[in-house]
Amino acid sequence: MKVPFSLYVHWPYCTFLCRFCAFSKARVPAKGVEHERITSALLKELRTSLAPHKDKVLQSIYFGGGTPSLAQPQNIAQIIEAANSLVPLASDAEITLESNPTSAEVDKMRDFKQAGVTRYSIGIQTLNDRTLARMGRLHTGAEGLAAVDRARALFPGKVSFDMIFGFEGQTLDQWQKELETVLKHADNHMSMYQLTVEPGTPLFRDRNAQRVVLPSGDLSAQMYESAVEMCTAKGFRHYEVSNYAVPGSESMHNVGYWQGRQWVGIGPSAHSRFIDPSSNQRISSMRLPDIQRWAQHCEKFGHGTAKSTVISDADAKQEAVVFGLRMLDGITDRRFASVSGGQSLKDYLHMDRVQQYVDDGYLLWNSTDAQLAPTERGLEVIDSILIDIVP
Amino acid sequence: MLQTRLSTAARHTRIPTFARQPHAIFAHQVPTHLQWQSYAVRVIDRKKETDISTYPPDLIRNFSIIAHIDHGKSTLADRLLELTGVISKTGKNKQVLDKLKVERERGITVKAQSASMFYEYNGQKYLMNLIDTPGHVDFSYEVSRSLAACQGTILLVDAAQGIQAQTVANFYLAFGEGLAVVPMLNKVDLPTAEPERAAQQIESTFEIDASKILHMSAKTGLGVDAVLPSVIENMPPPSGSIDQPFKALLFDTWYDKYVGVVCLMAIKDGSIRKGDRIVSNHSKQKYEVTEVGIMHPEPSPTTSLQVGQVGYITCNMKSVSEAHVGDTFYRDKHPVEALPGFVPAKSMVFAGVFPIDADEFARLDESIQKLTLNDSSVSVHKETSAALGQGWRLGFLGTLHMDVFRQRLEEEYDASILITAPTVPYQIKYRDGTTRFIRTPADFPDVHTMQDNVESTMEPFVLATMIFPERYLGQMLELCTLHRGEIQNHVYIDEARVLLKCRLPMAEIVSDFFDKLKSKSQGFASFDYEEAGYEASDLVKMEVLLNNEAVDALASVMHRTSSVVAGRDMAKRLREVIRRQLFDIIIQTAANGKIVARETVKQLRKNVTAKCYGGDITRKMKLLNKQKEGKKRMKKFGKVELPQEAFLTVMTKSE
Repeated sequence: MKVPFSLYVHWPYCTFLCRFCAFSKARVPAKGVEHERITSALLKELRTSLAPHKDKVLQSIYFGGGTPSLAQPQNIAQIIEAANSLVPLASDAEITLESNPTSAEVDKMRDFKQAGVTRYSIGIQTLNDRTLARMGRLHTGAEGLAAVDRARALFPGKVSFDMIFGFEGQTLDQWQKELETVLKHADNHMSMYQLTVEPGTPLFRDRNAQRVVLPSGDLSAQMYESAVEMCTAKGFRHYEVSNYAVPGSESMHNVGYWQGRQWVGIGPSAHSRFIDPSSNQRISSMRLPDIQRWAQHCEKFGHGTAKSTVISDADAKQEAVVFGLRMLDGITDRRFASVSGGQSLKDYLHMDRVQQYVDDGYLLWNSTDAQLAPTERGLEVIDSILIDIVP
Repeated sequence: MLQTRLSTAARHTRIPTFARQPHAIFAHQVPTHLQWQSYAVRVIDRKKETDISTYPPDLIRNFSIIAHIDHGKSTLADRLLELTGVISKTGKNKQVLDKLKVERERGITVKAQSASMFYEYNGQKYLMNLIDTPGHVDFSYEVSRSLAACQGTILLVDAAQGIQAQTVANFYLAFGEGLAVVPMLNKVDLPTAEPERAAQQIESTFEIDASKILHMSAKTGLGVDAVLPSVIENMPPPSGSIDQPFKALLFDTWYDKYVGVVCLMAIKDGSIRKGDRIVSNHSKQKYEVTEVGIMHPEPSPTTSLQVGQVGYITCNMKSVSEAHVGDTFYRDKHPVEALPGFVPAKSMVFAGVFPIDADEFARLDESIQKLTLNDSSVSVHKETSAALGQGWRLGFLGTLHMDVFRQRLEEEYDASILITAPTVPYQIKYRDGTTRFIRTPADFPDVHTMQDNVESTMEPFVLATMIFPERYLGQMLELCTLHRGEIQNHVYIDEARVLLKCRLPMAEIVSDFFDKLKSKSQGFASFDYEEAGYEASDLVKMEVLLNNEAVDALASVMHRTSSVVAGRDMAKRLREVIRRQLFDIIIQTAANGKIVARETVKQLRKNVTAKCYGGDITRKMKLLNKQKEGKKRMKKFGKVELPQEAFLTVMTKSE
């Protein structure tokens, strides 16, 4: 059986910049995006990076950003085709594209489908128009919902959307009402994130200067719990900290990250993690974040890699547990063995502490399958648990 | 410190010293068993020893300088050493005798040092031995040891600041020893100097004639020329006779890793030279003298030491514990009547010391042993705490002494330690007539024993001396009352300055009394104290309970009247520093078993990173490992994690 592989494509431009966003991005330049140049740089980098992995099978492609819905559909098609010609796409491959709900992008949805996209993810973020405006987003809540409806017609069963809770001034009641509304429009997948104040963002500066006061820890915990409760009641499974899906509709691409699947990322600032077939070493790398410099490097050297490091076996084992336990299904010995060189979870983890967490209802340990998983209660505090059980 | 001593010596070309031979300089690279051998080689190779037998007692003066902190004692010592050519006048000599980093940093002298100088006066050459003394009250024990080797002392007073509390304390120490006290005024060239007023304070406070008082500036050298003549004129030479059998007082000692124990001795009668056999009166142990010499300021061998002189002796003593400070030494088979000796140093403050990382125990044990080799006034007992694991209960002369010890452990031995709240030595009197000392709150009797078997609880008191401008009198009186002080009297030492005497529980001054005194008087008040016995006192043991379990390392003993406020304060501050965990943490404080306050640290409800995708992995793992490091530094009690700040909450009080 061929080793499953993923591709991440970073499209770096946005028409507006959200105050909370910490991803690498740039506003669309006044003279417009140089579509040909960016696409050709992406294709160059794609060829250089995927060539060594041709024995593998592409399980998923994810177009993220930035705002990849600003890209030209024919360019998306070129990238998908180029990828397929280097590493064959699996028959059930998932090809996701992230989109804003602004009208210009909604109009391109059909063309993206034509280009080969199979899954559509829409950033609604909130239904509160004032909050949207304050966060710098140029659309309304109603437009968000309409975009979801439109996408469902084109990608039935394959639509997801993002929501954020914990904005300044938001009450539990408001959040629950928002949840109620979005659940009426939901397809088979949703992401619900607590607003995170990332260093370097305008929101970070606002909060530090106390221009913005965010909800307390207890209130955001209640919001998180409401989301779990209401989504679960509607038949969604809370399969990862911030992700909900009708069973079978989980994001294959993202599950790949949490299960330690190999991937290559192309585009400015994109990360990659793969086993280098020539050295058999586990590599982590990152592309140059500056768009212009990245493009120049791609043109000159065939790729814009800024930094590449070897991941030690010890780090790989830690990562496998830390990321595995973000999912309700947790991690099994079988999967752990693929990075641990055969060491079992039992031999690796502080099992006395694991047992204590099992006794206290935070973790589940299935000894027949050697599977470790968090309970709902455990998932909510998993960061506290991880620092205790991982050596 | 020893390394420093040797390497400084090596650069000094004029004096033959221990360290001049290359063997010695590189001796730290030589296995221990060979180091003694290399020393033996050096002894044979050494240059000729200085002959100081031409200095009979009449031509010797043994003196010290006593002063309040920052009144210029160490600077004056530097000038005198320059003046007599012991050190060169480079303008860079700063506190030559303060060898420890902590001494230079804090501007205090912790360890007594001495230096011999040759000085010509009226056509006569004199041997002048300056015996340096620590300035702080915590080290008054060391001061009295050093004074026992002197016949006179310079009472140095800052002409701008006038008499301060330590000036008073040190004066009475010297006066009590029967020393000739010669007052001198320093810093007279400062614009704020008021020499007449300072002289008047000296006259009214000490009832000594200050009309011919010497004015100087040790910093610029102004008037320093007159200091040694004044010492010769006004201080008596040492007594004793060269014809009597050898008799010497051991007044200081230190451990040198190359030559072993070095003893500083004042020769009271007779003489001694290399090869002589001497006996310790204390242990009756015999030693062969391997070297004698003077501190110049580095060890510098002489052909002999004789009556009236002060110098060092090495005699193959292996451990500092063999050298009892205050001991009398005599020549083998010629016993003499022993000198009165000293009252041993008494620990006034006890604290638990624990390694932050339990794996560091063995290394810390070694460091403490090494450090106490040269500071025998620290008492050491092993202690085990349920919360903190294995550690030590150390006894100190005072809180500054404790602080200096901590700083030396951290800086010289790179130790990471946790110190529990200091405790004074309380006494418990039982109905059966026995008395027990409490060094740690863990020893305090439980509630039932208190009811059934305890006659009374006693706490140590001090007699404090405070000097400050009269405008602060109201606040100072209030501060003393607040700390359960009993005002004895207050007198005006001049028209604007007050000397206040107050009896205070020692426990009050080991916490933050001194800091408050300084802040309430805007730094103008000075403070000193002496022990003043024990008094019955209504004491309680204050315990901290986390989820109903008492944490031994957070317990303290205090007066009942303080317990309610302190108990509430502690619980509140613990709530601030204890991080939320996966369960509620109930913090309670209890005085003799009775709950005083209760606070809750609510359960942590949510702690999970919202977004974690491919690009976040590296950052997430870095954060996780950083948090794991932080957690390692936490002390775990049951399931409750205590940050180090928790231990500080018991050591200090909020305003």
